Amino acid sequence: FGTILSEPLPLTPESLKVSINSTKQCLHLQWTVHNLDYHQELKMVFQIQISRLKASNVIWMGNYSTTVKRNQVLHWSWESELPLECAIHFVRMRTMVDDARIPAPRFWSNWSSWEKADAQNSLGDHPLYVFPKDKLVEEGSDVTICYISRNHQDNISCYLEDELTYGKQLDQNVWAFELKNVSFHRKTGTNFYCKGQGVPEGVVLFVSKVLEEPKDFSCETRDLKTVTCTWDPGSDTGLIQLPSYTLFDSFSGKKTLCKHRNRCDWQVTQDSQEVYNFTLVAENYFRKRSVSILFNLIHGVHPLAPYNLFPKSVSATNVTMTWKVSSIGHNSALLCQLQLLGEGKQHNISVRVNGEYLLSELKPDTEYMARVRCAYADHFWKWSELISQNFTTAEAAPSEAPDVWRDVTFVSGHPTVTLFWKPLSKVHTNGKILFYNVVVENLDEPSSLEVLSVPAPANSTKVTLNQSSYQIYVTAHNSVGPSPASAVAISGHPENENVEEGRVNGTEDGFHMSWKPQSRNATGYVVEWCDDPQNLPCVLRWKNLGPTNTGTVISSDAFRPGVRYNFRIYEISAKRMAHLLEKKAGYLKELAPSYNPEVATINLTSHSFTLSWKDYSTESQTGFIQGYYVYLKSKTGEKCHREFEKTILPDNSVGCKYTIDNPDQKTFVVKDLQPESVYEFFVTPYTSAGEGPLDDFTKVTTPDDYSHILIHIILPMIFCVLVVMITCYLKSQWLKDKCYPDIPDPYKSSVLSLIKFKENPRITIMNVNDCVPDAIEVVNKPEGSKIQFTGTRKSPTETKGTKPVYLDLLPTENYSGPGPCICFENFTYNQAASDLGYCGHFPVTPQAPHCQLGPLTSPENLLKTLEQNYMNSLGEIPAGEANLNYVSQLASPTSGDKESPPANPPEPVLCSEYKMQMAIPLGLASPAPSENSSLSSTALLNPSEHCH
Amino acid sequence: MRAQRMQRTLPSLVLRLLFLCTVATGKCSGKYHELLLQLQRQADLMQDTSTLVDPYIRFQGLESPKLQEHCREHPGDFPSEDALWRLSRQDFLRTLNVTLGLVLRMLGALQQDLPEAAQQQAEMNVRGFGNNIHCMAQLLRGSSDPEAAEPTQPGPGPTLPPLLPPMPSSTFQRKLRNCRFLRGYHRFMRAARQVLWGWGERQGRSRRHSPHRALQRGARRTRPFLEVRRLSPRGQLPR
Repeated sequence: FGTILSEPLPLTPESLKVSINSTKQCLHLQWTVHNLDYHQELKMVFQIQISRLKASNVIWMGNYSTTVKRNQVLHWSWESELPLECAIHFVRMRTMVDDARIPAPRFWSNWSSWEKADAQNSLGDHPLYVFPKDKLVEEGSDVTICYISRNHQDNISCYLEDELTYGKQLDQNVWAFELKNVSFHRKTGTNFYCKGQGVPEGVVLFVSKVLEEPKDFSCETRDLKTVTCTWDPGSDTGLIQLPSYTLFDSFSGKKTLCKHRNRCDWQVTQDSQEVYNFTLVAENYFRKRSVSILFNLIHGVHPLAPYNLFPKSVSATNVTMTWKVSSIGHNSALLCQLQLLGEGKQHNISVRVNGEYLLSELKPDTEYMARVRCAYADHFWKWSELISQNFTTAEAAPSEAPDVWRDVTFVSGHPTVTLFWKPLSKVHTNGKILFYNVVVENLDEPSSLEVLSVPAPANSTKVTLNQSSYQIYVTAHNSVGPSPASAVAISGHPENENVEEGRVNGTEDGFHMSWKPQSRNATGYVVEWCDDPQNLPCVLRWKNLGPTNTGTVISSDAFRPGVRYNFRIYEISAKRMAHLLEKKAGYLKELAPSYNPEVATINLTSHSFTLSWKDYSTESQTGFIQGYYVYLKSKTGEKCHREFEKTILPDNSVGCKYTIDNPDQKTFVVKDLQPESVYEFFVTPYTSAGEGPLDDFTKVTTPDDYSHILIHIILPMIFCVLVVMITCYLKSQWLKDKCYPDIPDPYKSSVLSLIKFKENPRITIMNVNDCVPDAIEVVNKPEGSKIQFTGTRKSPTETKGTKPVYLDLLPTENYSGPGPCICFENFTYNQAASDLGYCGHFPVTPQAPHCQLGPLTSPENLLKTLEQNYMNSLGEIPAGEANLNYVSQLASPTSGDKESPPANPPEPVLCSEYKMQMAIPLGLASPAPSENSSLSSTALLNPSEHCH
Repeated sequence: MRAQRMQRTLPSLVLRLLFLCTVATGKCSGKYHELLLQLQRQADLMQDTSTLVDPYIRFQGLESPKLQEHCREHPGDFPSEDALWRLSRQDFLRTLNVTLGLVLRMLGALQQDLPEAAQQQAEMNVRGFGNNIHCMAQLLRGSSDPEAAEPTQPGPGPTLPPLLPPMPSSTFQRKLRNCRFLRGYHRFMRAARQVLWGWGERQGRSRRHSPHRALQRGARRTRPFLEVRRLSPRGQLPR
C-alpha cells in the first residue's frame, strides 16, 4: 500500500456460483477474483445482473463494492420477492477496480457467463407446490406467493384464509399471487392454500405486528447492588417468537440479554461506578428499536418495603408502633413515614435498622390502621411500598350521657313511664355498651331509690310510679365504667293536654317548625313524634334543642309522603320537667285521598235525599281533608241543581258537582229532585293535592209523591184493620156474647110450663109488643148479702136453697162507693136506647123526682120515663145504702159468678152484664114445686108495672 | 357457549380429581367395577372432539370446509376398533397404554400449536387414563382368570400403533397432519370406549346369570364374549 499501481489490471470475476436459500428466498452468489498479486488488496466494484425466466429478462442490476484480496471467495446475496422456486433465475457480473491507487481511466471487465439458478429441478413429483414455505413477514408488507402445478389439467384455486385469490400466470405451470398489505390473523400464521383435485397444498405466512419502541424506560436500585430497568414493551408482535431485549451500558461497554420483555436486571459491580448510560435494544426479525437513559445509582434508590410493623403498649389513647427496614449499603439512613389512617396525620422518622414511634391522642376503643413507607434519606427518589398494620385502642368509660326521653301514660291514676334512650355514637361509647342503669328517685321521699339495670342493646324500659314527683337518671355502662347521667323529671300528675293542635308544612328538608317559649327559665325544648304513626306501637323519636331555640327542622329518613305526623313540642324546665308547649300535625307532602267515604243514603223522599258519611275519619288520610265534592248525575241529563256546578268527570262524562268546604260536614242533603227519577251520586274528599279516586256512582231512585202516604198512613191502617179483624175473628164468640147475645126464644122458656100449668089458653106467651115497660126492676141488695144472679149456666146446687128475691128500690145507707149503675140498655123495648151503644152509670141523685108512670108514646118518652122512674126510685133509697144496678137482659150470668165480697163495692163498669128482662127467682131456673109456681111472667113483674 | 363449555369441563374436572386422588394415594382402586366405570367415563370424555381437535382447528385457522375435509384420520395412526376387539384384556390395556403414550408425546410437541388450556387438559386426561389402565392391568394380573389373557376375538397379540407419524417440513402440511392425528385419537378413544362398555355389558349379563352369549355390538363381533363368571373366580372381580 502507499504505492501507486502503474497499470490497470484486467480483473474478472471467476468461478461464479449461484445457489438458492429457500428459507430466506435468497440467491446466494459466490465467486473469486484471480490475477491479484499476493498481499494485494484492491477496492473493487462488482456489477450484478439478475434475469428471470430467461437471460434476456433482466429484472435487477446493481453494484457491490468491496475490498478484495487475492483468491478471496466473495459472497453476496439477493433476496427475491418472487419465490425462487417458481422461476429460473440467471445471474452474471462484471467488475471494475475502484481503488484510489489505480489511476484512471477505469473500465469494466467483461461480463461473466450467465449462471442459472433453477430450484424446480430439485422439487419432487408432487402434483402441486406452493411457495414460499413458512414465510415471516411484517404486518402491512406485500408478499408474493406462487404455485407450481405438475398437472396441467388440474383446475387449481387458491385461497387466502378461505378467500379466493386471483394471481397471474408466470409460466405454463406457474402462477403468482401478490398479496398486498398482509394483516395479522393469529399467532399460528395466516393460511394460504391452493386446491386442485388432490390434497390441498399451502403455505403459512407468519405475520408479525410492527415492533414498538419501548416506552417509559427507567432504572432504579433497591439495594445499591442490583439495578432494575423496566419499560413498557407495547403491544405483542403476535408471533410465537418474541422479540429480544438487550440492555447495554455504553460507559462500561457491558450488555445483558433481558429475560423478560418488560424488565431487566443489571448487576452492579464493585468498581463503584455510579453513573450508567443504559441503552435498551428491542429487536425482532424485521426491526430494531432502542431507547437510552443516563442513570445515577444514588439518585435511583427505591428502598424495599419495611417489615415487622407492630403496635406496642396499646392503651386507650396511646400506642407505640415498631418496624424494621432492610439495610442499604454505605450505612445509609432511611426516612420513614408513619401514617395513621383516618387521622390525616403522618410522622417522619429517620431509621437505620429499627423504627419506633409513639402515637398519642388516639380515641378509645377505635380500630386504626398504621402504615409505614420509607425512602432513601440521602437523595429522595421514591417511597417504598407501604406496609400496614391494624390495631385497636383499649376501652374507656363512655364520654357522654345518653339522650333520654320519656313517654308518660296514666293507668288508674298512676303514671307509667316508658323511658327511651338513643344509643351513644361510636365516638362516645369508648367501648361496647354492656347495659344501662336506670335510677328512679322519688323526690317526695328522698331516701327512696330504685335502680334498674337494662342490658344493651335495649333502648327503652318501662317504670310504674306513684303519684309523686320523680327524677330518673340513666347511665350507659361499658366494661370500664358508666357514662355521665342523663336526668328526666316526672310529675305524678297528668300533663296538660289541652293544647290546640296547629299545622306544619313539610318540605324536602323535613318539617320546619317553630314555637313560642312560655317560660324564661326553659333549659331546652324537645320535639317528639312517631316515625311510623300508621303502625303501632309508636316508634318514638325526639329531638333535643337548646333553650335559645325557638324553631327547628325535623327530618327523618322514615318520613313518607301522605302520612300524617303529629309533633309535640315540650319545654324543659330547670328541674328537667317537660311541659307540653304545642302540638302540630303535618304531612311531608300531602297526597290526594286514597279512598272515598262509604256514603249512606237516608231520608229518601220524592224530592230529596240525604247523604251521610259520618264514619269517614279525616285524621288518618293522606292529607288534610279540606272538604268534599259531591257529584250528582241524573238520568235525564237535566241542568244541574241549585248550588251544583256542571263539571266534566274524569271518565269524561258530564256531571254536577257540589263543593263542601267544611271537612267536618259529613252529611249533605240533595234537594229539589224529581219524583220517580234516578240519580247517581258520588262523594269524594279532597286535600290540597287533589280529590280522592273516582269510584262508582251510587244510584238512587226517588219515590213518587204518594208513596209516603202509603208508607206512613195506609200501611199502618191496613195493619190495624188486620189486627182488629184477626182479633174479632178470634173473639167473635165473645163479642157476639157481649154485644149480640142470642135472644132467648120465649117459646122455649120454662115460663111456658107455668102457663101451661094455669091452663090459660089465651095467654101463651108474653108478647113484647104488648108489654109496656113502665117500671124498673130494682134489685134490693141488702148489706152483707150476696146477690145471686141466676143464669142458665148456674148449677142447681148453687141455687139450691135460695129463695126468690124481689127487687125493691130501697135506699142504701152508708154507701161510699160510686153511685149505682143504671143501664138503659134494653133493646127489646127501645131501639133508640140500644143505639147508645153503652150502658152508663149514673150517680144517684136523691133529690130526683119520683118515678112517674105515663104513656110511652115515643122512645124518648120511654127513656125519659125510665129515667124518671129510676130517679124516683133512687130518691126513695138513701144514698149509700142502696146499690142500684140496672139489670139488663143481656147481663151475663158469669159476672154473678164472681165471688166478690159484698163489702167491696163493685167497680163501675161500662157495660153491665146481661140480666134477664124479668126478675125470676133463681129457683125458677128449674121448675120446682112452690106456692108461686103458677106465676106467669106478668105476675113476676112488680105490681106497679103493667103490660100493655 | 359458556354453558356448553361448563358441561364439558365439569366432568373433566371431576375425573381429574378422581385421578389425582388415585395418584396422590399411590394406590390403585381394588374395585373392578369402580375402575371400569372410571375408564368408561374417561374414554367417554376423551373421545369428545371438543376437548382437543376442535380447539386445534380453531387455533390453526383450519375451520374452512375445504380444509376440514382433509382433516380425517390418517390410516395407520391408531389401531382400528376391530383390532381392539380382537385383543385380550391385557393386550387391549397394553395397546391403550402404548398408544396413549404416543399421544402424550404428540401433545408435548403440539404445545405451541394448541390453546394452552386445551393442551393441558388433554395431557391431564391422557395421564389419568393411563394411570387407570395401569391399575386395571394390575387388577387383571392379580386375578387368575384365563379370560384376562384371552382375546375377545381371535387374533394376534397386542396391536401397537406406529411411532409418531413423520411430520412434513411444511407448516401448512404439518397443520393438516396434526389435525388428522388428533382426529384419529378421538376415533381411537371412541373405539376404546366401546370395548370398555362391552366389558361392562358382559358384567351386567353375568350378574343376571344369562346363559346367552355376549351382546354383539355389530356384525364384526363374531365371537361371543366369555362369561364373566369364568373371568373372575376370586378377588375383587365380580362373580
